[in-house]
Amino acid sequence: MYRIKKQDFSKIIDELIKTGNRIISYSNNGNDFKRINSSNELSINSNFKPSKLSLKEIVFPKTEPLFYYKRTNDNVELKDIKFDSEKTIIIGAKPCDAKAFSTISKVFNWDYKDNFFNSKYENTIIIGLKCDYKDEYCFCNEVGLSQSSKEGSDIFIELDGDDYFIYILSEKGKNLLQPFMSYLIEEIKESKVDDIDNIIDLNKVRTWITDNFDNNFWYSISQECLGCGKCAFICPTCHCFDIVDENYTYFEGRRMKNWDACQFGKFTLHASGHNPRDIQAKRYRQRIAHKFKYYFDKFDELLCTGCGRCSRECPVSINIFDVIKEINAK
Amino acid sequence: MNNLYNIAKDLFSTNKVDLIIGYKSIDSRRTKPIFVSSNEDVDHLVFNEYSLNNLSVYLTRKDIKKYNKIGILAKGCDIRAIVQLINENQIEREKILIISKKCNGVVKDFGLEYNEENIAEKCKSCKVRTPKVFDLMIDSEEEKKLPEPTISSRVNELDSMTPEERFEFWRNEFSKCIRCYACRQACPLCYCERCIVDKNIPDWIESSPTQRANFSWNLIRAFHLSGRCIGCGECERVCPVDIPLSLLNAKMGIVAFKEFNYATGMEIGEPTLVGNYSNEDNEDFIK
Repeated sequence: MYRIKKQDFSKIIDELIKTGNRIISYSNNGNDFKRINSSNELSINSNFKPSKLSLKEIVFPKTEPLFYYKRTNDNVELKDIKFDSEKTIIIGAKPCDAKAFSTISKVFNWDYKDNFFNSKYENTIIIGLKCDYKDEYCFCNEVGLSQSSKEGSDIFIELDGDDYFIYILSEKGKNLLQPFMSYLIEEIKESKVDDIDNIIDLNKVRTWITDNFDNNFWYSISQECLGCGKCAFICPTCHCFDIVDENYTYFEGRRMKNWDACQFGKFTLHASGHNPRDIQAKRYRQRIAHKFKYYFDKFDELLCTGCGRCSRECPVSINIFDVIKEINAK
Repeated sequence: MNNLYNIAKDLFSTNKVDLIIGYKSIDSRRTKPIFVSSNEDVDHLVFNEYSLNNLSVYLTRKDIKKYNKIGILAKGCDIRAIVQLINENQIEREKILIISKKCNGVVKDFGLEYNEENIAEKCKSCKVRTPKVFDLMIDSEEEKKLPEPTISSRVNELDSMTPEERFEFWRNEFSKCIRCYACRQACPLCYCERCIVDKNIPDWIESSPTQRANFSWNLIRAFHLSGRCIGCGECERVCPVDIPLSLLNAKMGIVAFKEFNYATGMEIGEPTLVGNYSNEDNEDFIK
């Protein structure tokens, strides 16, 4: 672990901007994040509540072209996408957001290696920040994380007066700071383990979901659900996408990859007209089961980092943690 | 006493309703929609300044339509949506029992304390804080003065821009759209079984959240709600990227009122704006 003065950290950021890196920092109220052009725009605040949209769009944009096509008389020409090699450095990701990157990387690298995701993820360096925010929607400690979890971060910082403590956690992080080691002062600090007092037994939740696919519970908790996809779109781990072809003209067009959400009625609608998830209760069950059972069954981790965005922003105040607590109490 | 609890209890005991769509308290500054189908859950019902949702959005849903008689808690603004749905032949007046109250405004969003600063913009210019159409009224405070509205001055501000400036303003706003369609889902008047944006043969509006398609989606929705939007503001409240959709809808409402002396959802049986033609209709805006 190292200690660095805040102004030295800013110098590093300015140097990184100068050498062509894309630096992402939060706005002054933490509601959103943007590319910054100078360290003066840096906003590192451990009391921010999670931004409205999660950081996932950096590696998984809301829309992106997969290729372009052109029809000629007897042929179709395809034009591939050139991947951007620009490095993106995220400053101050919350532990719940930082972890989400490595979580979704599993599904994008399971059987098919998704180069659209990987090209961005490999070029992204995540600088996590210890979090001091907690409201009634946060539950990171119930899904195996904590306010000082370093999972998913390449570098992790903690505020300490006029200094930062810096943890270098990955090869990527090490390479990034290599030229700047003279600013860092090595220090040994006893790392405090967060007190975690869990109330949810995730194994129990998982077993209940497995055994109760047709339980009326799913209907009772989702009756008020409007079926908007807001929860999925703002979630740092929801990663479903739709692929559509867009024609500019009869002869030319492009294939697009766009965010999609399992809460939409159309999501599972078959061309035949049959819809296996024909009512909202089945779609809501899918949301919960995917996050707390299916993903765990397949990848040995949850598809939820407890950021609480979906509950905070739900138009009809459905609280995912309340749902899990209810299942846990069964 | 005409309190909510007594009214609801009575409605179930005398079989006057099969279901009440209402609000339940989550904490002191939050409520959520609740569906009460028997006397047992009646004590969960609340109706206060944190009752934000426009519950009439549920009235057109298939699983709700199957009930014979539905009681619904509705603020004056929500009632305008119910009236409009009746006037558009989407629900039957006889099946709906409207329980209302005099309203002193609701907060902008959950979690905010009810005070002058946090009152929702729509409430400040509301003409139906004491509703005109209802079946039962619960005891409620008299109307008190609310802060002056700012929405028309914001619309005027946009009107005074050059077309290029206005285009730039909306280009900026629409570029944020992620096409989650929360606006549509929260809107009681967006009840199309198949929304134009879900049609793909032909692909009228591309589903990609690109600038061009975002313009198409948001403007088509605004056109489609012209003379139909009752200004409940739910679309704007639920938008995750804070697009000021109320400005669009308010502008269309102002035009409808100025050109046709029409305000949406005020009276049952009133012909709808777009569904009605009269020789006296003003035509000088057609150029």
